[in-house]
Amino acid sequence: MSLPPRISLQRVCKQFAGPTSAALDGDVLRDVSFVLSAGEFVCLLGASGCGKSTILNLVAGFDQADRGEVLLDGRPIHAPGPERGMVFQQPTLFPWLSVRDNVTFGPRMSGQTAQQYLPDAERYLRLVGLQDFAEHFPWQLSGGMRQRAALARAWLPNPEILLMDEPFGALDAQTRLAMQELLTTIWQTIQTTILFVTHDIDEALFLADRVLIMSARPGRIREELQVPFERPRSLEDLVADPRYGQLKRNILHVVREEAAKSLVGEPA
Amino acid sequence: MRSEAELALLLPQQEAATGKGPREPAAPWRRWKYPLISGTTVTLFVLVWQLSGSLNWVDPLLLPPPSEILRTALELLASGYRQTPLWEHFLTSTARALVAFVVAIVSGVPLGLGMGLSPTLGAALNPFVQFLRPLPKIALIPLVIVWFGIGEGAKFFLIFISSFLSIVVGAAAAVLGVSQARRRAAQTLGANRRQLFLYVVLPNALPELFTSVRLSIGIGWTSLIAAEMVAASSGLGWMVINAGSYLRTDVVLLGIVLLGLTGYFFDWSLVHLQRRFAPWAGMDS
Repeated sequence: MSLPPRISLQRVCKQFAGPTSAALDGDVLRDVSFVLSAGEFVCLLGASGCGKSTILNLVAGFDQADRGEVLLDGRPIHAPGPERGMVFQQPTLFPWLSVRDNVTFGPRMSGQTAQQYLPDAERYLRLVGLQDFAEHFPWQLSGGMRQRAALARAWLPNPEILLMDEPFGALDAQTRLAMQELLTTIWQTIQTTILFVTHDIDEALFLADRVLIMSARPGRIREELQVPFERPRSLEDLVADPRYGQLKRNILHVVREEAAKSLVGEPA
Repeated sequence: MRSEAELALLLPQQEAATGKGPREPAAPWRRWKYPLISGTTVTLFVLVWQLSGSLNWVDPLLLPPPSEILRTALELLASGYRQTPLWEHFLTSTARALVAFVVAIVSGVPLGLGMGLSPTLGAALNPFVQFLRPLPKIALIPLVIVWFGIGEGAKFFLIFISSFLSIVVGAAAAVLGVSQARRRAAQTLGANRRQLFLYVVLPNALPELFTSVRLSIGIGWTSLIAAEMVAASSGLGWMVINAGSYLRTDVVLLGIVLLGLTGYFFDWSLVHLQRRFAPWAGMDS
């Protein structure tokens, strides 16, 4: 690959000491290595509990690796920073702020003036379909609208890397599909690097350039595959493509194997 | 590639329509339903109470009916209780309490926030706060008299110390109430420690701060009676105690009604302040 790596994980290990149960002790991640190139859209695919959110937390800087290195442009990551935006599973909006004030939170923290950020803010609000709800408060919105506001909020500071932790997992199927199209369209105009965690195979195939499949706990990168489909993608064309069925079958095979392992590994 | 306008159309439109808008005015009946029920039960209660006196079910000396309490109120308004007008008793008590509440809030909230933010400060002060808070403040009265005499200082101190301690504890807990997810969201948006406190931790704590101030004022108002037992010669608390020793149950009940109504009014005002300044209390987002 010609592009320089933005994010790189080298033999990263992470352990958690379960406070209550010995079953939770032990390795969450074992020797996880991968590279994220500039402008790439990578999905991290795995069952719940395989440590994919842990990887995201390490890259975000919320947590530190026990061994190995997590690097941003060659420098170790120690703390969260605005160049790494994040969209969480829950919208995590601030209920005391209006939708507009939520969306502009990032630029306001970095000391930008309203003149600097408002045009972009209005554009993102339109893009996520919330232009008429800018004065509303988060608790007056539906779940899907909240998550759209959270997406606009993460995107407005123009992060170089966007980390997404199953952001559409809590949405209904129709809203999820619209959000996925929205995400890829914005991504193509802005060319951010995206690391997207999901357990949904279709979602990964629809969104990603590259899919990293994780093993059951302790989490490792079990398989890596390029997604060959041209962009812009439409789900209709995708499901009709014979390569799609083949890819999905391969992934399902791996996922099922790992699921079986984690079931065997489960304490009685 | 789709244009931005096209994309916005892609988003489910019906969802926007079902999004809960600003609170809609409820139908008149729905709006007044519960206040009406409350009003009815109170009216019934007062009616039965009145009948108990009028029909001689209960000796009026033991339980003076509302009409007699009203008469006493008018009498005390005109001629005062023990040479002091009723409104002066009332104002003396509320002034004592309000001054103590304000000082307790102004000093207790910052201290509690500090204890919540700094584990060191918390560890240093927590033993004292936790020891004093559940302590019945009446036990302090002898000491308070020795320290402050029997003037206003003693009463102020008793009301202050009871509300102050629970405000401190409440504020410390409120600071810790901010969820990790909210904190992290702010951090990834570039908030530094100061901004995190000002724009996330503090507004996040506001609803709980209101709740703890409400509780504390309730506790403080309760200790007013205790404070006015300390050799006072005015105030509602003193009036109740004094009238009791002369078997003036009508004055006692009048004092109780006034104390109750005032406490109720304090709480009601705080509820409205909370709705005004922290309308998101209890809302999910």
